[in-house]
Order: sequence, then C-alpha cells, then structure tokens
Amino acid sequence: MNSSSRLTMPATTRRTPVEGFRSQARSRLLRADLLTVLAWSSVSLAVALWLADGGASGFSTLAGSFTALGIVAGLAGMDLVLLMLLLAARIPLIDGAVGHDRALGFHRKLGKPSLYLLLAHGILLAIGYGMAEGLNPVAELVALWVQVPDMWLAIVSLGLFVAVVATSLVAVRRRLPYEFWYAVHLLTYAAVLTAIPHQFSAGGLFAEGTWQRWYWLAICIFTGAALVHYRVLEPLVATFRHQLSVSRVVPVAPGVVSIELAGRHVDELSGHGGRFFIWRFLSPGAWWHPHPFSLSAEPAWSDASGHGTLRITVRNLGRGSAQLSRLKVGTRVAIEGPYGLFSTAARTRSRVVMIGAGIGITPLRALLERTPFEPGQATVLLRGHSDADLYLGDEILALCRKRGATLYHLTGPRSAG
Amino acid sequence: MRTRAAISAALASAGILLAGWQSGAHVAGTGSPVTAAASGSSSSSGSTGAGGAATTAGGGAAAQAAGTYTGTAVQTRFGAVQVQITVNAGTITDVTALRLTDEDRKSVQISNRAAPLLRAAVLKAQSADVQTISGATVTSDAYLTSLQAALDAANL
Repeated sequence: MNSSSRLTMPATTRRTPVEGFRSQARSRLLRADLLTVLAWSSVSLAVALWLADGGASGFSTLAGSFTALGIVAGLAGMDLVLLMLLLAARIPLIDGAVGHDRALGFHRKLGKPSLYLLLAHGILLAIGYGMAEGLNPVAELVALWVQVPDMWLAIVSLGLFVAVVATSLVAVRRRLPYEFWYAVHLLTYAAVLTAIPHQFSAGGLFAEGTWQRWYWLAICIFTGAALVHYRVLEPLVATFRHQLSVSRVVPVAPGVVSIELAGRHVDELSGHGGRFFIWRFLSPGAWWHPHPFSLSAEPAWSDASGHGTLRITVRNLGRGSAQLSRLKVGTRVAIEGPYGLFSTAARTRSRVVMIGAGIGITPLRALLERTPFEPGQATVLLRGHSDADLYLGDEILALCRKRGATLYHLTGPRSAG
Repeated sequence: MRTRAAISAALASAGILLAGWQSGAHVAGTGSPVTAAASGSSSSSGSTGAGGAATTAGGGAAAQAAGTYTGTAVQTRFGAVQVQITVNAGTITDVTALRLTDEDRKSVQISNRAAPLLRAAVLKAQSADVQTISGATVTSDAYLTSLQAALDAANL
C-alpha cells in the first residue's frame, strides 16, 4: 500500500448497547451443523432403504454383487442430486445458516461425486444384470433400453447429467458465456425428471406398496416443491408486490453508476443492506440477463404503504453491466432475493470490522446505515487503486462520522508479486 | 466441516445404516419364503402339476364348473411362472401365483410387484385380456399365458 490515512470520527449518536450477537452466532452454527447432519443422514438413509429391503443378500453371488453395488450407487447418487437441488433452491433456512455462497460451494462440490455415482450405477447394473442373463454389458444396456419401460429415459438422463457436469467444470465454464452455461444447467431439471420414472417402475425397491416408495416420493416432491416455491413463486410474488422501476441513473465515477429504483412496500426490504438481489431489467434484450447486485443504500420510504426507493451501485464490468448505464428511467425491474449473508445476521460479536475493495465497497455503504454498533466499536477499511476508486467514499465518510466508526482508506497499486 | 457436525453426522449415519441392516436381516429371513409359500399352496390344493389339470370341488359341468384350475408352467429366462385360479359359478374368484419369475433378486422384486397388480386386473376383467405391467413384461406375458391355460381348463 502506498498511502494509508486514518480518519477517526467523533461519536455523535448514541445507540442502545448491542447484545445477542453471540447467541445469534451460536444458533446459526447449530442450524448449520444440524443441516450438515441431516444432509449426510439422508445419504445413509437412502442406502438404509435398500438394506432394510434385504438388499445385502445380493452379495451372495458375483452378478448379485455388481447389481447390489449398482443399486447403492444409484440411490446415493440420486440423493446427492436432490441435495444439490436443495442447496441451489435458495431456501432461507439453508442460506441463512451457511450463506448463499457456501451453499452453492457445497452444491459445486457434490457435482462430480454424484455424476460418478450415477455413472457407476449404470455401468455396474449393466454388468450385474448382463452376467445374470449371460449378456455383455453393452447388449444388456440395449436390452434394457428396448425391453424395460422407462429405461431409455434413464439412459438419456445419464447423458444429460454428463453434459451438465462437463459444462460446469471450471476449465470449460471459463470459455463459455454465462448464458450458455445457464441454459445447459437448466437441463439438470430434464435430467432429474427423466431419471425419476425408472426409479419407481423398474426398481423393485420402490415397488407399489412399499414404505420405501412413499419415502422416495416424499423427498422428490419436497425438493420439487422447494424449487418451485423459492425459485419461481417467491420471485414472481416479490416482483409483483414491489413493482420496482428505475427512477434515476446517477453516474458515480467513470464506468460506475448508481441506479435508484422506486417501488411499493420497500419497507419490507429494510435491514437487508449489504445482501444482494437478482435484478432483471425488463427492457428488450436485457430482461433475460440476471444481475446479482447488493443494495448500496437501505430502502427509504415516505409513507405508511412503503412507497419509496432502493439503490444499487454498479460498475461497468461485463457486457450486461455496460447496458445498465444506458437504462431508461421507468424501466420495470423484476427482483429475486434478498440472498446472501453479508448482513447483520452474520455477525458474531458487538464489535465489527467491514472491509471492502473496489466496487465491493458499495454494500458496506448500506450495511453501515443500519447494522447495530456503538460508537468506537466499528472499523471500516476501504481499498482502491486511487481515491477515485473508493466509490461512494463521501457517503461512507459521512456515515462513519455520524455513527462513530473508524475509517481507513488504503489506496495505491498492488505490491509487486 | 466442523468437528461437532462431522461427529454427529457420522454417528447418525452409522445408526441409520445399522437400523436398515437390522430390519433388512429380518426381511431376508422372511423374504424368500414368499415364493416358497406360493408353491406350498400348490401342493395343499392338490393340483397335479402342469398341463391344465383341474381339481374340481363341485359338480363338474363344464360351463359352471367350480373349483381350482392350474395353468401350465411357462418357462422364461427369469424362471418359471404358473398360476392357479379359483372358479365359482362361472366367475374367477381368485388367482394364485404358484410360481413366479425368481431367477435373481431383481426378478423376485419385479414379480412381487407385478403379481398383485395382475391378480387385481384379472379379477376385474374376468379374462386373460389385461394390460401387461410395465417393467414386468416377461413376467406378465408368462403369467397371462399360464392363466389362459387355466381358463381353458375351466372352460371359461
């Protein structure tokens, strides 16, 4: 760092003492741990379903052993796929406990293991059934495709899973536009849906009249319902409820604009400063671009019905963001969220340090407004190449002054190496 | 993963797997006799085996015959299938599977699923003209072939 200036602000406002952050943190960790236990238990329960059906007796013969391992791999693989869907379903209980980013991190980590399990499921069963019937695995696969209902769907499903995971590999994904990756990723739903019929029709474990069938149906329906509710219905409801539209586009710095949005019931979004929403600006050519941006100012409203404004601050980083500086006033906006844990909910103690760099400074601006702390208990670190890169620096300075936070500016080029 | 979560998850998983194993051992003990019980009933009903032999309980008038009729044993690559019907006053009152495809575990599972569905369909249709059960084509075809033989024997 080339320069570092320290600006200590006098305390001007006194707030009520802050308590309860420790118990908030304890309960959040407890929820995270319980969810972890629940997730792993669901995998062992999937295997236990098969054990409870006397599945282990299959190991008495070689063909039976292949078949048994194949069934176990399929059960565990499908369970992991359902877990992945739940992790990506934006369920508040999960996002609130571990955070949206870590939930998606687990989601990514499960991608390859579940694919390997599903591939093993197909291969081991082809070998196992083939041995039992005196066919080679390929001939057995053909026989399954032709003779057993729903099996061709299952084989198609496996192909779709391979495509989805392959396009999500970091090396491949970097070369593809986000939208292409996203479109292929949507095939996951097709892959899961085509995999389901054979589980109930061809697999004896979930035959009619078994309790296993009810359990499996329940977890499939639960996952589907969670996805539809949190990823489709809630965003639609939020979009219609808040009726947001662009009210002002203010240049902040070269390539950086603040977008102010007016809408209804914005009071309900209060306290989410720092968290992010997925924004879609409903203008031709732009509506299908989802933009994840954090609020850069807490919602402000003037009347009891919550008519008011929100603000995001955006830097021209990609093709999509470039369009945003040319947004017309009055453009309607669809929202999803709030997501993420960059908020008061993540705090573990009464003292707080907020660190932001570049455009990442802007969520701090919103967080500083509302997150509780006493004067002298908060420190803010802002990092940028130059003072001009400390976006909304003036507003942050004013807020620090008002609330008695210590502000540091760290500017200059990166150190070599 | 935090230690507390890891240990709890491991213990919970071990418990669940153990419980599954325990109830599975119980199923394995009673599971195989499902088919054994079916063949057992064939000896108690006194049928004389394959070939559409009938043990008539009642008078024996061809059209109104009451009693049990056994269908032919149909061989499939998954094992033999043979059914027995109980007829009373010209209607099929029961269908019992004496033997079902039981070549391996998968076949047993398929059979156990298909048999009740086929039985219900046959009792409803009062003939062998019922839909094949999806996922159990071989079993269904053999079941219905054997059933037809039994129906022929009963002159239905």
